[in-house]
Order: sequence, then structure tokens, then C-alpha cells
Amino acid sequence: MSAVDVTTRNNVTVLGREDGPAVVLAHGFGCDQNLWRLVVPALAERFRVVLFDHVGSGRSDSSAWSAGRYSTLDGYAEDVLEICSALDLRDVVLVGHSVSAMIAVLAANREPDRFAKLVLLTPSPCYVDDGDYRGGFSRDDIDELLESLDSNYLGWSATMAPVIMGNPDRPELGGELTDSFCRTDPMIAGVFARATFLSDNRADLPKVATPTLVVQTAQDAIASQEVGRFVHEQIAGSELVTLDATGHCPQLSAPEATAAAIIGFAGAR
Amino acid sequence: MSTRFSTTTSAVPAGLVLALVGELDSSTAPAAQEAIRRLTLRAGDRLIVDLARLEFCDSSGIAALIAARSLAGRAGATIALAAVPRHLGKVLGLLGLADLFTTLPNADHT
Amino acid sequence: MCQADDAGGAGEGRDEDRVGAMFSALLEDSAEDLYENAPCGYLSTLMDGTIAKINGTLLGWLGIGREELVGRRRFSDLLTVGGRMYYETHIGPMLTMHGEAGGLALELKAADGTRLPVMATSRVKTGADGSAQLIRITLFDARDRRAYERELLRARQESEADRDRARQLASTLQRTLLPPSLMTVPGMEVAAYYHPASVDEVGGDFYDLFPLTGDSWGFFLGDVSGKGAEAAVVTSLARYTLRSAAVYNPEPVKVLDNLNTVLQQQYRGGEIRFCTVVYGCLVPDDTGCAITLVSGGHPPAIVVRADGTTQFLHTHGGMLVGAIPDARFTEITAHLGPGDTLLLYSDGLTEARPVGGSSERYSEEELLDHLAASAAHGASEVIASLTELLTGFGDGVEDDTALLALSIPLPRDGDS
Repeated sequence: MSAVDVTTRNNVTVLGREDGPAVVLAHGFGCDQNLWRLVVPALAERFRVVLFDHVGSGRSDSSAWSAGRYSTLDGYAEDVLEICSALDLRDVVLVGHSVSAMIAVLAANREPDRFAKLVLLTPSPCYVDDGDYRGGFSRDDIDELLESLDSNYLGWSATMAPVIMGNPDRPELGGELTDSFCRTDPMIAGVFARATFLSDNRADLPKVATPTLVVQTAQDAIASQEVGRFVHEQIAGSELVTLDATGHCPQLSAPEATAAAIIGFAGAR
Repeated sequence: MSTRFSTTTSAVPAGLVLALVGELDSSTAPAAQEAIRRLTLRAGDRLIVDLARLEFCDSSGIAALIAARSLAGRAGATIALAAVPRHLGKVLGLLGLADLFTTLPNADHT
Repeated sequence: MCQADDAGGAGEGRDEDRVGAMFSALLEDSAEDLYENAPCGYLSTLMDGTIAKINGTLLGWLGIGREELVGRRRFSDLLTVGGRMYYETHIGPMLTMHGEAGGLALELKAADGTRLPVMATSRVKTGADGSAQLIRITLFDARDRRAYERELLRARQESEADRDRARQLASTLQRTLLPPSLMTVPGMEVAAYYHPASVDEVGGDFYDLFPLTGDSWGFFLGDVSGKGAEAAVVTSLARYTLRSAAVYNPEPVKVLDNLNTVLQQQYRGGEIRFCTVVYGCLVPDDTGCAITLVSGGHPPAIVVRADGTTQFLHTHGGMLVGAIPDARFTEITAHLGPGDTLLLYSDGLTEARPVGGSSERYSEEELLDHLAASAAHGASEVIASLTELLTGFGDGVEDDTALLALSIPLPRDGDS
């Protein structure tokens, strides 16, 4: 795939200091790159900031989506590597939110030389409880989420699809947020939800050789503090920061503190 | 009933004129077939199929034309196609059917 | 007139007074009462979701006391786990970034464990300085609607399953109409390609290559009018009739006569079913092979010569097969030498609408030029080049397309 194809496929946006270290921000399930909007200004002062939409989210090229590639997190990790390669990024600081924290882990384990540091924002390696491990959810809970997605997306495709798919060239960050924000094709959302919430990446954590910062919030209904600690303990030498914030998206609920944590870790020698 | 296609049948001294108007495809061909079945031809009549306002014709339309030819043959009548659109003429040639139909420049040419 | 108007106006004024008095007697509710006992649930939360205010209707639905919720619980705590996950990953971000989120299907968990489906609409209230202060949420009882939606969802899932089954059936049936793999003819290279225009329906194109007596081989490529199961019946009949007729009497014109008779008998009285087909017989000789071709209303075969020139093999006068009792077919002969390729194709290719806005269809002439310009040599290269061409047409290929190519390989260096 050519560099242009990759940047189009993932709706890649590059901004900030051209000579700064590269920081790649990977959004999680349920949204798109706009989720980083509140932390981007602070990051852009120091870094070359790379934003993108996972295939099937935001304004990515949905026609590039296939069930085969995107039924597991590996396909998404492959995309991250292709984006880094297409932009010829070196010593990348890869920031992954939510499910993208695990996508980041997979990408860094695949090509350790590409990445200088990892920032895992509200990560969970496994959402489903398993023996002593408390992921926080049962298999039934996940099924309930999938059902919830189904009922929320009922009737979506017919009415919303043209609006969303028809305007690929609208201004990106800083532009007016539209109804397409966080909208996605229901079938793709279902497959992404399965890959997100049914993956078990616990075994991948000890393999991480890249310096890693784990950022969690004091109260997170999706990834508990216990899970954040687990991630920290499994990645040798990792740092753990607990923000005095609530919710699963600290880049929205506490953007200054989140940006400060990323800058502090990424900027350190 | 589709508005994309219609037929009219009129009696002339030499026999009947069947005009096929609009788009003749698999969804409208049954209407054409029905119109053909209702034709009452006598021996010696000439059936003129007027194609002047036929905008589209696919293989189901070809089938209808063949059905009209068979019907005329059974009744001892003859058949002629009037104002054959250029593309249809080419298709009829390609299908080897050009010789089966007498053609006329227009339906008035009786 | 004037007086009457005045009198009427005064009368209306008195009526209005009476109606107004009646309404105010009915509309005694204060704004507070309207909030508390509205026919929908209301609540307001802080930006982190902590419940700040909640109305009586919603408390009644939940069966939970106000003091247990206000300042203590978050909105997402009222939801089922699936709804909570959806709220945290999607709705929350929507509200923060977009200021509102509507048409949300959620389920509340009541104190007694029952679940209440609701439709939620929420909007962020901003202060005078534009900063977000509160999230206001309205919830409507959606039990009836949800039951209806479940039905819709179930129907959709069923129809998707049906469609998958139909596609499976179509593809299975399609495979039975084409040879699983082409036979190898000694001293020749053969290649074929089938491009189905739809995954939902069985196409009407067919081809085959098979041994006749002695050193000769029969081959054909055809196209049945129409699509779907009815066309598939004719396709199947045509394919097997051609093969058995060729064994019975290999003379190409007789083979098509036979097919014409069979199709006529089969569909006498009913809807006319016909097909176009090119049937050929090839006999390898010292310098390549001799070919006899007969066409029943089919687009002309093309020969790509070793030097790259291309030509049509017109079989003038061959009628489409199955439509007329006394159909006539004429045969032509040709010779393929080393490096020459014979191509049979169906009109799915030549009737395609190439992408690029033009409504003009592709044509036999353009195909001839494409082959001359492509520098493709030999059956495999020709098929590969045309497969690429078809892929480029994308959705412009409206009909099924079958391709069959036969060629005599050039002697390799050192051979003589």
C-alpha cells in the first residue's frame, strides 16, 4: 500500500512542530480522532502530532474495511505500523487510549525499534473476568453491550450513512464538529466492539520492552484502578500515574492533566 | 402497471399496428407479451410493430418480438418492424435475427 | 356589517374569557409540578455524570429514593452494564465534544431488578461564559417501541441469514454450471475466467472444453437470456445438451441444431428461453490447430495473432439458439499457429459501462483495440489482461462475464 493510500485510509492528520519528536495518538472504541481535540494544542507546541481514525471510525475509508483484517486487534496494530512507516516516523511516542492501548502494545511488540515510548491511557488487557483476574465484566455484560449497539444503530445506516460518507473532505481539527462525530457503521462497530471487549492481551504485556507510562483515572467504569495496576505490574519498568479525574476519557474530563502527563513522560530523556 | 412502458394497438387497412413505447426489459416484457397475446390477426394481415418510441430493449424485449413473429406466423399473417432503433438493429443483426423481420422506416409506410 | 362585526367581536371576547378561565382551572400545575410529574423522566447531572436533580416520574420508574441518588450516584449507574459501557465510550464523549446526544436507546435498571427500556435525549447546559455546567437528560418509556424494534432486528437478522443462504446456494449452483477446472489439451494453453455480476443470483453464462473422438476437442461459451433460477435451468440444459450432442454428432452446425431443437421442445408454449453461444471444434495439427466455429447469435470470437494483430472471426447469419424452430447456423474455419490466441467472451464485457462518468458502453471494437494494445500473449496473459480490465470497470459490469482463451505456445528458445 502506498503512503498516500495509508494516509487516506486512516484519515491521517499531522500537525504541530515539524522538527519535534513524533507523538502518534490512537483513539479507542466508540469515537474517532476528535476525541484528542482538547489535548492536541498543548502537545502540538512541542511535538509533531499524528492523529488518525481507525478504519471504520470517523472519516476513515470504510471501503478499506474487511471483517478478516479487523476482527482482531492485530489488524489495527498493523495499520498503526503502516501509518508510522508511511510517514517515516522514528522514535515514536505512541499514545493509545482504551482499546488502542492494547493495539499500541501489539504494535510496539511487533516493531520495537520503531517506538521510543508508549503511553497507555486507561488501558485494559482483558475486560472479561477470568479466575482471579478482575477485568470488571462478564461475558453476558459484553453480549449486552453488543445488543445495546444493535438497538442504538437500528435504522442508522439508511438515514445517516449518506450524510457521513458523503463529505470526506471537510476540515479536520478546529473545524466545526458535525453529526458525524463518533458515528460509525453499525456492522463495523459491532465487529470492533467484539475485538475490543473480547480480546485477552494479558500475555502480551510482559513482552513490552519499550519504556511505558500507564495513565488511569481515579474512577473509571470501563477500566478500573485494579486493572490499571495490573498493566503496570505486568510491564517491567513501567510508570503508573493516577489522574484525579473521573471517567474513561481523561483527555476529555481532565485534558490539562492528561496532556501534562504525556508531555512529562514523552519529553523526558 | 409501470409508467415506463406502454403499448397501443390500432387497426389499419393492412392489418394491425402495435406500438411499443418506453423501456422494454424483464419487468415490462410481460405487459408486451400480454398485448401480443391479445392481437387478433387474420390470414393475410400484416402486423406492424412500431418501435419509433421504444427507448430501451433487452433480451426479454427480443423474446417479445420473437413471440409476435410466431403469433403472426400461426395466423398466416406477416410481420414487419417499423422505425427500428439503431442499437436494436445492431443487436438483431448480432443475434442473427435481422433476416427474420421485414423492416420499415416508419409505421405509416403501409 | 360594521355593527355585526362589533357585536361578534364582543361575543368572541366573552367566549375567550370563559375558555381561559376553564383552562386556568385545569392548568393549575406549576412549572415545578410539571417537572416532577411530567410524562417522561428528567434528570440533570454534573459533567462527570453525578446526578444533581431527578424528577418524581423517573424515581417512580426506578423505585429508588431521591436521597439515594442525588450527589451519590452517576447516571451511568442507573444503566445496564452494556448501556454503561456505551455511555462511557460513546455518549459521554459525544456530550463533551458535541454538546448533545439524542435518539439513544438505553435500559434502566430498577431497584427490583427489572429493566426499563428508554429513549434518551441529552443536552449540555452552558453558563453565560459558554462553559459546560450541567447535562440535562430526558428519558421516554420505550417498552412498546423496543418490542417493535426487537421484531425489526429479528426480521433483519433473519433476512440476512436468508440472503447468506441464497448466496451460498447461488454460488454452489454456479459451480455446477462451470467446469471445476479446464482440461489440458496437449500442445495448447487454455485459460478461462468467470465474473459474476451479482452474488445473489446465478448468472446465465457458461463455457466448457472437452475431448471428442480421436484428437479433436469441443469447446463452447454461451449466454442465456435472463438471470436467476430460471436462467440456470436453461444454462444447465444448454451445457449438457451441447456436450452430449457433440458426442452424438461432432459436426458443429449439427450440435447447435440439436441444442435449438431441445430448447424449442422444452419451452414450447411457455415463455421463450434462448441463448447465444459459440461452439467450436479444434483439431491439433503439425503447425498448431485447425478450428471450426459456429455461432448462434453470439458476439464474434477474436484471434490475437503472434505478431500482436487482432481480428474478429465473424460468423455471419448465425441465429440465437432456442427462439426459432428453423434457426440457421453457419460455420467458419480458422487456423491457430504458434503464438496465436483464440478468445471467446460474453457480452457482459462488451456491454459494460466503463467507470468515468460516460454512459457509453464498452464495445467489441474497443475490446479488439485493447487486446492489440495490451501486448498480452498466450491464453493466460490474455485472460489476466481482461480480468484486470473488468476489475477496472468495477460496478460498470452489469452482467455476468465469461471468458475462454485457447492458444498455441511459441516454441521456446532452443526448441525447433
